[in-house]
Amino acid sequence: MSNFRYSQKEAHPNKTNTLMTGITLLLILLVSIQIWLLYSALNNALTDNFNIALGTFIGSSVLFIAAAWLLRYLPEPRKPKIKE
Amino acid sequence: MKEEKAGETPQWKNDFPIDKEEATHVSRREFAKFLTLFSGALALGNGAIVLKSIAFPEKELEGQHFICEEGQVPMGEMLQFEIEGDKVIPYILIHLEDGEWRAFEQKCTHLACAVIYRKDLNLIECPCHKGYFDPKTGVVTQGPPPRPLPQLEVVIENGKVFVKAKSHKA
Ligand code: FES
Repeated sequence: MSNFRYSQKEAHPNKTNTLMTGITLLLILLVSIQIWLLYSALNNALTDNFNIALGTFIGSSVLFIAAAWLLRYLPEPRKPKIKE
Repeated sequence: MKEEKAGETPQWKNDFPIDKEEATHVSRREFAKFLTLFSGALALGNGAIVLKSIAFPEKELEGQHFICEEGQVPMGEMLQFEIEGDKVIPYILIHLEDGEWRAFEQKCTHLACAVIYRKDLNLIECPCHKGYFDPKTGVVTQGPPPRPLPQLEVVIENGKVFVKAKSHKA
């Protein structure tokens, strides 16, 4: 059966490298957005802006779920070559 | 003889059986996982803010508090006073040049320095990092403070100055 994982394992290391870099960059992007959300939550919600606190929390959680889901596509570590 | 040796794995490879290539590969995976962990921590922190505002909502000041006689604060001057509740909060009372009265919390919204009213500038100044607030509304006009100063409502009755929680802004 051919699925993503299967083709990924067959792929040339250059391709997995690209995938790895892509995932890392995406994760950094997600985390930066979250930092920004947390920053605005701290600035606004410390007075009495409950909606901003709630909104940023929901946004941040969604981004976290996205980040966790991205991990599924991490290339697997290379298996050591089995020597005969 | 020599050929046999080349085929053998050296002892150190058995002790530390990780290819260089493999090692870098794993560390990038771990970096990605660490980023995700960090992302989870940020989401959690945001949740903590929500919980905090549900569990400990900001209490409004209750009732009217007598501060001073009207004549005690000439126009363009300010008076510092404190109100004791759960914690003691310092405030400033300002008699503006046009005769109006204002009361603000004295803690700067940036890093909680004490703010003062500057008559010459007609601004409230935070001396720590040169933050300025509008003395009419408490809005930040300049500098690092992220939020306006919390304001109280001033009531004048028979020449006496009282403060109470601001009736909610529209
Ligand atoms: S503490 Fe007031 S400007 Fe920084």
